[in-house]
Amino acid sequence: MVLTQVAACTVWRQFKITLREFNLHIPELFKLAGIAIVIIGLALRLRTTLVVVTAALVTGLLAGLPLLSSQGVFQGLPYLTRAGQEGIINMLGRAFVENRLMTLFILTLPAIGLAERYGLQEQAALFVRRIRAATVGRLLFIYQLSRVLMGILGIRLNGHPAFVRPLTFPMSLGAAEAAARARTVDVIPGTIVEEIKAANAASENYGNFYGQNLSPVLPGILLVYGVMKGLGYQVSVWSLVLYAIPIASLSIIIAAFQFWLLDLREKKRLSPGKSS
Amino acid sequence: MTFLTSALFSLNAVYILTGIVLFIFAALNFRDRSNKHRIGTALFWSILGIIFVLGSILPTWIAGLMVFAMVAIDGAGRVSRGDDSEEVTKTGQIKSRATSIGNRIFLLVLCIPFITFAFALVFRWLGYSSNDGALIGLGYGGVAAVVVGIALTRGTWREAFQEGRRLNDAMGAVNILPALLASLGVIFTASKIGDLIAQGIQKIIPGQNLFLLIVANCLGMALFTMVMGNSFAAFPVIAAGVLVPLIIKPFGVDPAMVAIVTLTAGSTGTLMTPMAANFNIVPTALLDMRDQYGVIKFQAPFALTIWTMHVLVMWLMIRLF
Repeated sequence: MVLTQVAACTVWRQFKITLREFNLHIPELFKLAGIAIVIIGLALRLRTTLVVVTAALVTGLLAGLPLLSSQGVFQGLPYLTRAGQEGIINMLGRAFVENRLMTLFILTLPAIGLAERYGLQEQAALFVRRIRAATVGRLLFIYQLSRVLMGILGIRLNGHPAFVRPLTFPMSLGAAEAAARARTVDVIPGTIVEEIKAANAASENYGNFYGQNLSPVLPGILLVYGVMKGLGYQVSVWSLVLYAIPIASLSIIIAAFQFWLLDLREKKRLSPGKSS
Repeated sequence: MTFLTSALFSLNAVYILTGIVLFIFAALNFRDRSNKHRIGTALFWSILGIIFVLGSILPTWIAGLMVFAMVAIDGAGRVSRGDDSEEVTKTGQIKSRATSIGNRIFLLVLCIPFITFAFALVFRWLGYSSNDGALIGLGYGGVAAVVVGIALTRGTWREAFQEGRRLNDAMGAVNILPALLASLGVIFTASKIGDLIAQGIQKIIPGQNLFLLIVANCLGMALFTMVMGNSFAAFPVIAAGVLVPLIIKPFGVDPAMVAIVTLTAGSTGTLMTPMAANFNIVPTALLDMRDQYGVIKFQAPFALTIWTMHVLVMWLMIRLF
């Protein structure tokens, strides 16, 4: 018992010495508790919204931010406010309102729902089944290329609600049905459908992330330009685009390989001879 | 007249439309007796609707408290969906009419990307932000698609909203995650978490080895992006804390070359983090996936491969140019 206490003490002392060597203060490190809360909370699959708000509150309070801004009714309120500092609650509200554009896709849901009610997914599947060469992987690869092209044209949009859910996903299912020589989705095993869904979402992300740096008017390039200028380096947006090309090309090659592997796996599992 | 058009084609107008749609979803849920938590659910969507409509004029602390209220309702498990919103319209419920519509059904959904596109192009042509144009276009595209859809299918607005609500209820509280996580990022920034991480990297990095410095730079960028859920938020921190003092200055490297590769090293982090909810979690809800992390799991091998490529490309470019 005593031994463990001594051991613990030694470890703690050593830890403090290490910290001092790295010139980090313990209270500073406590601020990272928010990150720990997020990682643990998400790993335990607790309710994500609660985990995020808890992490925000804990991080802000440990960093010594006040709960509320010292404005209006709260002017000069002790403990909860501090002059000249934005409060955590104000920050949450402001940032949430500013970022509500990320949830704008709600406006497209009635149209997509209506189309599905009147047979969109069946029609998309039927359409793709007529194209002999269509496979899930090839379809998604072409979609990714089209997203890169949109990036080059300087157009940025949220493709998951606009393209993936209504179009590419049902088309992929159609391609998978054709591979299985099946008439309905129900024949395709659930695990494969899940993988197809994930691959659909991924092809949108791949094309969007690496394609958007190929245009000097999109926010990625503008951000780098602005930040580097702020740090004292004047760079040209066109040279940024130029140096983005190698990684963008590699992203296309690696994705093509991943989608090819997906096709191979599917062919094995869906070939009509098998009983699955 | 110009005032009217600029008010009509503004983000605010689209926010108000979204708010109205949310109020309708809330009302439909409130009247749905098969929904076990119909009051909580209706309240949740109403609050979100109010934030959408009044967001730009609400005092920030009230908006903040409303966010807390939504999270509390969701945290208590009071956001649910009723039985009749669960019947999936997989098989095209209206078979007879569906066959006569045929491929014209695509017109309905193509409205959305087409109008999004058109708005983005027109906005850019007129000298406004094409980013705003795309968002406003996405909103009006959704509205136009319903109008076209009703004309095409001879369905009703009621059907459209019921179907929209079915999709919305299936996503549930995931809908507010992107904005919520962005808020967490703002608080991380205000708490100077980034500085702490940049300091940590500076302390750990071994001296003068260019290759190891590149590894640390790309790793730091990917990891910090995973924490922030957004490479744009991570880039200024890593650029100021690691890239400039440890690579650009001592080695006299072309800043444009390494800066853009550092940014996309962050994108590999975005592919692997649930914090980037709009890219990785919302799609799992939109596609009704069983595993909330299914998209991340699929993307991980790709992300790790291309991360390695980032290190190699940056090193080669510095060595060759």
